[in-house]
Amino acid sequence: MSAESISVIKLRGLLLVTVPADPDDTTVLALQEKVLEAMVQHESTGLVLDISTVQTLDSFFARTVVETVQMVSIMGGRTVLAGMRASVAVTVTQLGLSMGNALTALDVGRAIELLNAEASKELRV
Amino acid sequence: MKDRQQGEFRIESESDIVSARKIIRNAAVCLGFGLTDVTRIVTAASELTRNIYVHARSGVMRWRTVNNGPDVGLEVTFEDRGPGIPDLAKAMEVGFSTGSGLGMGLPGSKRLTDEMTISSEVGKGTTVVVRKWLKS
Repeated sequence: MSAESISVIKLRGLLLVTVPADPDDTTVLALQEKVLEAMVQHESTGLVLDISTVQTLDSFFARTVVETVQMVSIMGGRTVLAGMRASVAVTVTQLGLSMGNALTALDVGRAIELLNAEASKELRV
Repeated sequence: MKDRQQGEFRIESESDIVSARKIIRNAAVCLGFGLTDVTRIVTAASELTRNIYVHARSGVMRWRTVNNGPDVGLEVTFEDRGPGIPDLAKAMEVGFSTGSGLGMGLPGSKRLTDEMTISSEVGKGTTVVVRKWLKS
């Protein structure tokens, strides 16, 4: 699994990033960098991290994801973690990890709806 | 009757953590563990092989089928000749880490498996054994 295989798709002002299923630590770190660069490059304020193919989220992987969410937040963007598998949710919780205050959604479709709703809420204020 | 299986894998590089996860996933699936238990075992294996790589640079992972009366389980041993753990009780505390990690690896792996034993001697190395039993 190489960093080149990470897909970043721009979708109506949002970025959709598909996290590889079983990445090594180097790829996980490369993913973080690629996501942050893409946020700046596309002047995006919303990020969907599709983790639906991820089979194992250990403490290193989870910490990097949470860090990425925080970094995006500092840059003025919002992240939704989409599609965490039930088995991964159970394991991450038992491992003792919290995904911080990241927004979550059952799938990519709902994640996009959530980001759009957040954006229109901000417009009204 | 489940096939008995066992094997050994050397941890020497970061990418070996990924290989170790694949091996343990395969072994757990073959033994008949459900998806959530497979994920628990694989996640524990990922934490423990990373511990080997980070603290000792290299080591060995061994796995085998174990029996206890009618019960069948998977046992995975992680052995290194690294620096050892000076204070095992402290190492089992959530949030304690001598490296740059979160201090989740050892206590987390214990929660994800049914049994975990650690033996460690400073300057000699560390051995961690985890077992997960198949619920029938």
